[in-house]
Formats: sequence, C-alpha cells, structure tokens
Amino acid sequence: MKPFRARGGDVVARLDPAEATVVGLLLDQLEQLLAADAEDVGDDPVLARLLPDGHRGDPEIAADYRELTESALRSGKADDLAVVRATLPAAGGEVRLDADQAAAWLRSTNDLRLALGTRLDIGEDTEPPEEITGEEDQQLAVYYWLTAVQGSLVDALVAARAGRS
Amino acid sequence: MAGPLAPERTPDTTVDEDHDLDRPWVTIVWNDPVNLMTYVTFVLQELFGYDEPTATTLMLQVHHEGKAIVSSGPRERMEHDTSRLHAYGLWASYQRDS
Repeated sequence: MKPFRARGGDVVARLDPAEATVVGLLLDQLEQLLAADAEDVGDDPVLARLLPDGHRGDPEIAADYRELTESALRSGKADDLAVVRATLPAAGGEVRLDADQAAAWLRSTNDLRLALGTRLDIGEDTEPPEEITGEEDQQLAVYYWLTAVQGSLVDALVAARAGRS
Repeated sequence: MAGPLAPERTPDTTVDEDHDLDRPWVTIVWNDPVNLMTYVTFVLQELFGYDEPTATTLMLQVHHEGKAIVSSGPRERMEHDTSRLHAYGLWASYQRDS
C-alpha cells in the first residue's frame, strides 16, 4: 500500500492486488450484515455499534430516535459502500478520490474498523500482532492495516483542507 | 388536612419542573477504543465548523474524560447532530443537559 496523499484537489493512494481483494471481501461482509433480516441479527454487537442508540437510559426516546433516523443511516452506509466499490481497483492499483468520494471512503473504512474492532474486542491497550499464528492474528493485522489506510486518508484530507485555506 | 405521614409538598417542585423544560438538550460524544484521535478531530471540524484548536480540545476531553458535550440546543437539533455523528461512526447520544 502506498498511503493516501493530497494531490491537486484529490487524494491518491495505491493498493496491492491482495489488499484490494481484502477490502472487497470486507465490503461484501459489511453489506450482508447491513442487509440481513433484523430477526437474524437483531442483537449483533457489530450492528449495535454501527447503528447505536441515540439516547442512553430512556428506551422510549431511543426508540423514537431509531424510528426517525435509522433508515437514513442505513441508506447512507449503503451509498458509501457503493462509492468505495466503484472507486476500488479490483486488481489493485491507484485509488484517486475527489472530496465526496473521500468522505465515503472515510466513513466506510471507519465502519469496517468498528466492525472488526467490535468482533476482535479491541481495547485501548490492544497491540498489533507480532507474528501471525492464527486467524485472529490475521484479522488483527487487517484491522491495523485499515487503521493505517484510514489514518493516511484523514491526514491527506487535513493537508488538502490546509491547502485550500 | 394532611396527616403527619402525608408526603411533604413544597412549591419548589413546580418551579423545578418549569426550570426543567428550559434546560437545553446536549449532544455527547463518548470515548471508544477504535476511532482515531485525528479522525474524531476532523469529523468535529467538518460537522460543526469548529476551528482546529477547539475540535482538538473536545477530542482530548473525550479521550481523557470519557465524553464531551459537542453541541447544545433544542431536542430536534440534538437528534440531528447525533445522527450526523452516527453517520461518521462516532459514539454519540443526546440528552437533556444535567
């Protein structure tokens, strides 16, 4: 991976073929989870993190909030996923994003990190794996790779904003 | 006439309730171990138009104290702010100011 950099009005990165494949698979999984029947995934901790309660302590207000906002939140996530998919080079290569596409990548990579982070029970003191000995190490490595991607994207957008002002 | 065991009623109760309705609502961002500090600062600037030092101060408050109030106002606006933060994956909720 070549991290995101601000270039002109865009941000640009480069992904290896294997990295592009991993991102594609993660997008599939997130899409499936968001599209799943509420009955099947109603108490899934990842969904609870991606579509959180709006009020803590008052179930009635929380239910009102959910009714008011959840469908827009879900469709926003679906739109973001579609943008990432459309701008992801399936066989690896350059990723070039304008401001709107970059915002979609920012939110989607964050959702992927939240999903993985919840599944892996990431805490403040979790460390990247020193060596990959099992599936969980692999997922942890993917999580930290996504962290690097998203971190570079934030830095590039901050640099682009500084360049505009 | 109320007996000695009747609950004591004071005019203050009514005043407090009125006062309650005047209290604004607030939107709170809670700490979580996944969201990057740079990301939280960036999102607060994007959504609320805070300058970089203000957004950084709020982000650090979330990080060190576990939460920070990022906006306040009428309930409907706090619902809206919370949903905008949720769209960016920040862990947010709204409530009446305490």
